[in-house]
Amino acid sequence: MSDIGKVRLRVPSTIKPGEVVRVRSLVIHPMERIERDKQGKVIERNYNYIDKVVVTYLGKTVATFETTQSVSENPFFSFTFRATDPGQLKVTFTDTTGGKFEGSADIKFS
Amino acid sequence: MRGWCESRRRPEPTRRSVLRALGTLGAAAAVGTLTGPRPARAQALGQQETVEAAMKRVFGTRAIKDGSALVKLDVPLIAENGAVVPVSVEVNSPMTPSNYVKHIYVVADKNRIPVVTKVTLSPEAGQAYVGENVRLGETGDVRAIVEQSDGTLLQVKREVKVTVGGCGG
Repeated sequence: MSDIGKVRLRVPSTIKPGEVVRVRSLVIHPMERIERDKQGKVIERNYNYIDKVVVTYLGKTVATFETTQSVSENPFFSFTFRATDPGQLKVTFTDTTGGKFEGSADIKFS
Repeated sequence: MRGWCESRRRPEPTRRSVLRALGTLGAAAAVGTLTGPRPARAQALGQQETVEAAMKRVFGTRAIKDGSALVKLDVPLIAENGAVVPVSVEVNSPMTPSNYVKHIYVVADKNRIPVVTKVTLSPEAGQAYVGENVRLGETGDVRAIVEQSDGTLLQVKREVKVTVGGCGG
């Protein structure tokens, strides 16, 4: 899949200062699950799945997700943050093979 | 890739297969690589174990209180597709620097890897809310365990019926 690492972020279209905003994020990723051989033994290898998601707003970490293979393919996460100042909201996904995928949204007040 | 569905039961070990496995693993065990090469970070959270072992490893012997008054765990009653089950956790918390929700754990009891996610929140989040899609191998309880900044642990449990297993690891 060439789409691996595509990040989508959804923030509400209008944000008022000081409001608690709910954000939805999605990344295209296979989140490989453990495979077993015919004897039912786990095949040991480095499975490629996202194990860390970091949400930063104005450079400060708001939330950190530590995830395992029990999270669905193309993982979806939602979270909240308090919009105090206009600035950048950034979500970084890290997988076990060193892949790093970023998505960002500019928070503006209207 | 999908052939070896994780939710499928492991075949019962026979005496012969156990002996064979012991023989081949003997050398590996001697050098201490029985678990094989795994990134250290993944080992910290995503281990294959029973839910009791996972709870003991993550929380030790700390008391876990019932949090149904404060914690709202939103899961479907019946999940038709275990591969994608939306779960959301909302905690009634002021989220001030002195009193906020520090961690939210999502645990699926019947999964081979029971600890699904550990979320670390900061007071800047404004509200203790997380949502995500999880895999569920089979019908079983889903728990949300909330750790507050003063160290109290609160737990809420709900059963989810899974029609088609999501091979949840």
